[in-house]
Amino acid sequence: MNKKTTYIAPTSLDEALKILNNNMGETKVIAGGTDLIPRMRSGMATPKRLLDIRKLSLSSIKLQGDFICIGAGATHTAIMESELLSVYCPILRKVAYKIAGPPIRNRGTVGGNLVNASPAADLAPPLLINDAEVVLSSFRAERVVPLVDFFTGPGETVITHKEILTEIRIPVSTETAATCFIKLGKRNAMTISVVHSAVRFSLDSKGKIASSRIALGSVAPTPVRAVKAEEALEGELPGMELFQNVSALASEEVSPISDNRASAGYRLEMVYVLTKRSLLTAFSDYKKVI
Amino acid sequence: MEEIRVNFIVNGKSINLSADPTRTLLSVLRDELELKGAKEACGQGDCGACVVVMNDKAVNSCLVLVGQIDGAEIITVEGLAKQGSFHKLQDHFIEKWAFQCGYCTPGMLMSAYALLLNNPNPTEEEIRASIAGNLCRCTGYNMIVEAIEAFANETAQN
Repeated sequence: MNKKTTYIAPTSLDEALKILNNNMGETKVIAGGTDLIPRMRSGMATPKRLLDIRKLSLSSIKLQGDFICIGAGATHTAIMESELLSVYCPILRKVAYKIAGPPIRNRGTVGGNLVNASPAADLAPPLLINDAEVVLSSFRAERVVPLVDFFTGPGETVITHKEILTEIRIPVSTETAATCFIKLGKRNAMTISVVHSAVRFSLDSKGKIASSRIALGSVAPTPVRAVKAEEALEGELPGMELFQNVSALASEEVSPISDNRASAGYRLEMVYVLTKRSLLTAFSDYKKVI
Repeated sequence: MEEIRVNFIVNGKSINLSADPTRTLLSVLRDELELKGAKEACGQGDCGACVVVMNDKAVNSCLVLVGQIDGAEIITVEGLAKQGSFHKLQDHFIEKWAFQCGYCTPGMLMSAYALLLNNPNPTEEEIRASIAGNLCRCTGYNMIVEAIEAFANETAQN
């Protein structure tokens, strides 16, 4: 670990933002540390100062007006165990359960999962299909950014050195929707996604798809939505042929790379398979409920 | 490096020490408190050999900084045995041959202990999920799962 790293743990958000107001990049925000600490220990990250946000009371999960508001400091375990999310966004609970193993889930946070901006961030696709927004707080200011506009590249987002991601907001949906998330990893736990897919669609009174979202991870520089595939679903009757065509469209919207987890060609093939399987599973689960 | 003073509890004992806030909890446990049960293997949160229970939850002590332990209550594998007798969970690990080289055992025990604190009657699936963050390269996991299951069954009967 870099011996020059200093540490500060403010107890109010205002104090933390005041410190960051002069930050030129030397101060790095830390919460669970499950990503940052290994990177510091291997020398990949060398912050001069750590600003710990664990004492800022940013971990509540609550219903506020038309939004479910998740504090950025909520751990993956807190998401898995949230009664509120089991009612309003059950898919998020299921995805949190797929992340790493219990010790990591007990420390790692939803805010960290997003700010690290890994193309394989497991919580990104389920939040993208739910039109989530992130609240970026800075000294005496705040801005709300749709998650779809948040990621700019691997490890890169629109967040500045002066800002803290404080909250994730999910609009409460009144419509019943079909949803599904599938994570393909090398094993069932402690694994970074090779490819993952999340889908969500609602049906109108005639049984046609009214609105749809498809989000994919680990297949582009950022977590992405397959917008053309989404458009191709809308106004159509759900079924195998449609899902096949739409999944083929989705695989045209991604740009996977080859790395130590999988080849680009395999990932491309899996985008087709997982999108199709997600759509089919979402639809068959939906029919059981309706 | 400027040291900070932290107060925390380890195995029921109050600890007050001054240390570099960016040191890991694991290094404090092993090198300051001479508790060598938790091991460093990967140092990245992948293997679980360093798992301890912090505020009733299993954590990788290699990924917790000294700055983050003020006020915390920590239980390490050394805190399981009482008055020279093994904890029943440890007895079941011995009876079921739930270890061979033993390197993963402290972490396995503490992950299981954290599960049982919050869920005294776990299903086999919940047991397997609870040790998903702990690698064992000797036993194939089945004996570990059986040991945890045997302990839970015995506790349920009493």
